Amino acid sequence: MANQETRRLDDIISNRRAMMALGGAALAGLALSGVSHAQATITDTDVLNFALNLEYLEAQFYSLAAFGVTIDKQPTPIPIAVNGGTAGTVTVKPGFTKVPFSNSLIADYAAETAIEEGRHVTFLQGALGKSAVSMPNIDLYNSFNTLANVAGIGPAFDPFDKDADFLIGAYIFEDVGVTAYHGAAGSLTSKDNLGAAAGILAVEAYHAGLIRTTINQIDAGSGALASLTQKISATRSKLANPSGTPVDDVGLTSAGVSLNGSATSAMATTFVDADANSVAFSRTPNQILQIVTGGSANHQGVFFPNGLNGTIK
Amino acid sequence: MDTVNELIRKAVSRRRFLAGAGTAAAVAFLDGCDNSSKTTTGNGGSTNPPPSDIPDNDVLNFALNLEYLEAEFYLYATTGQGLSASDAGSGAGTTKVPAGIAPVPWASSGLAQYANEIAQDEVNHVRFLQKAISGNKGTPVPRPDIDLTFFAPLAVAAGITSTPAFNPFTSPQAFLIGAFVFEDVGVTAYHGAAPLLTNTTILGAAAGILGVEAYHAAAIRSLLVSTAAAANDQTYVNIANKVSALRGMLGGGNETTLSSKTIVAADTTNAIAFSRTTDQVLHIVYGAGGGAGLSKGGFFPGGLNGTIKATAS
Repeated sequence: MANQETRRLDDIISNRRAMMALGGAALAGLALSGVSHAQATITDTDVLNFALNLEYLEAQFYSLAAFGVTIDKQPTPIPIAVNGGTAGTVTVKPGFTKVPFSNSLIADYAAETAIEEGRHVTFLQGALGKSAVSMPNIDLYNSFNTLANVAGIGPAFDPFDKDADFLIGAYIFEDVGVTAYHGAAGSLTSKDNLGAAAGILAVEAYHAGLIRTTINQIDAGSGALASLTQKISATRSKLANPSGTPVDDVGLTSAGVSLNGSATSAMATTFVDADANSVAFSRTPNQILQIVTGGSANHQGVFFPNGLNGTIK
Repeated sequence: MDTVNELIRKAVSRRRFLAGAGTAAAVAFLDGCDNSSKTTTGNGGSTNPPPSDIPDNDVLNFALNLEYLEAEFYLYATTGQGLSASDAGSGAGTTKVPAGIAPVPWASSGLAQYANEIAQDEVNHVRFLQKAISGNKGTPVPRPDIDLTFFAPLAVAAGITSTPAFNPFTSPQAFLIGAFVFEDVGVTAYHGAAPLLTNTTILGAAAGILGVEAYHAAAIRSLLVSTAAAANDQTYVNIANKVSALRGMLGGGNETTLSSKTIVAADTTNAIAFSRTTDQVLHIVYGAGGGAGLSKGGFFPGGLNGTIKATAS
């Protein structure tokens, strides 16, 4: 009887856990990355702090681009040192100023995204409570130059220089956010955390769709920006998958589609970053670390010169 | 973070509606201790999957109905024809379209390429879900009866026109409005449905489709805004917001008024995307408010195919 009761309880628990386990493919990926779910070494706190590091990065990028200040210097400051921790610094170019937007729509998009990424920081800090980590050191200057080299874009790249450069800088982050939440959500056990992660995933996808659509709109007839997105996507895919396969990133291009027929009948703009089933890609935390640290063996470099804070690093 | 609990409450509510289970079972489920007959009749040492509240395949078939609707809309807009007979499934219903249906007269290839991308994605989602259901030992429902002339009375209900004359296939701007009717709903529907799924692989896929729907929604919302800005005419943004208001009235709020500063549809505190219950989604696609017992109407004149068809609230 006790055994039956126990088994029933296990069934119920596993059912409830599974019900909330969004992003199942990620579970397998987490195991590959050495933070196996089966070992029960990864907690919701670990995952949310991992996400918080990424949100610090995004929030600082957009806040600097749109408002010219870091999130802790906004009119309503967002804390970057929490729970007695010490905040890292944000490295920007000498004489930094916010993006001198010429297109007011793009300025609006930047401000909205800055506000929303800031809310994600605040939300995650609140959800983590006393476990929230402070902001690590973030580099928004040398990082882009390094990535530009790796991607074959050129010796230097300044995403704060003008509208188009800002969009390309944003492009670097947004699809990564989608794949990171898709990949991390599967290891969350709390239903509240999981529902929130799915909702943040969607917002990151909104951002990504907005950025990709806007790049495509202002690039019309040129292809210069589309070419940059292809290089960035190829680089992200290679960093996430050093062997070269699978390819888990699609840059902006025109691709043939067959629609309701059996042969290619029309051309489509790949403003969605998704696989052959039109399902968004998913990446493990390890793959995300590879991207944001530029393939660094110890996961220190590029955007996080001293690594992330927390246990997933 | 009340959304997930609310979802579960709604799910339980619907299960009671579908299966006639007692209130006690529902309360017990909320407490994480399911006393329903499904568990108490379990055979002790069974290796069967844990009991599920709503079977995954029912949820997937619910999503498949919505994908049929989206695919039909985008295919008619891009090709003047709907899904192929094989994609529509054996026993498929008919799709009613405006007289003289033809592809949208695109003013530029740019907008057509967005429509082609979304159309292909939605066709891929139909095929993917059909395979996922079959692979999960279920039977994918065929396309139900669909009415794409419902946009006209919908426009009257939203206060856009005084006579039922709106046709989304007649101009690029009208097409964007037609697309706007669906896309944010897709995001909220997948966000709401995903936590109901128990199979982790299926859950991962649902999260990935959620992401793609958000890419689509962002593209449609930002194209409406940028098109309006370029023409210095906010007419179609204002129309979209009337659609949004109607959706909010039918679907429990969960809307963000569209502007250049609010491309993303998300709550304003945490920047987390909205979520809707299947009931709320049904009220929107059936085009009617009210409470329980609504089982057809609007875009689905014969109702959805499958078990999730009638509203429980």
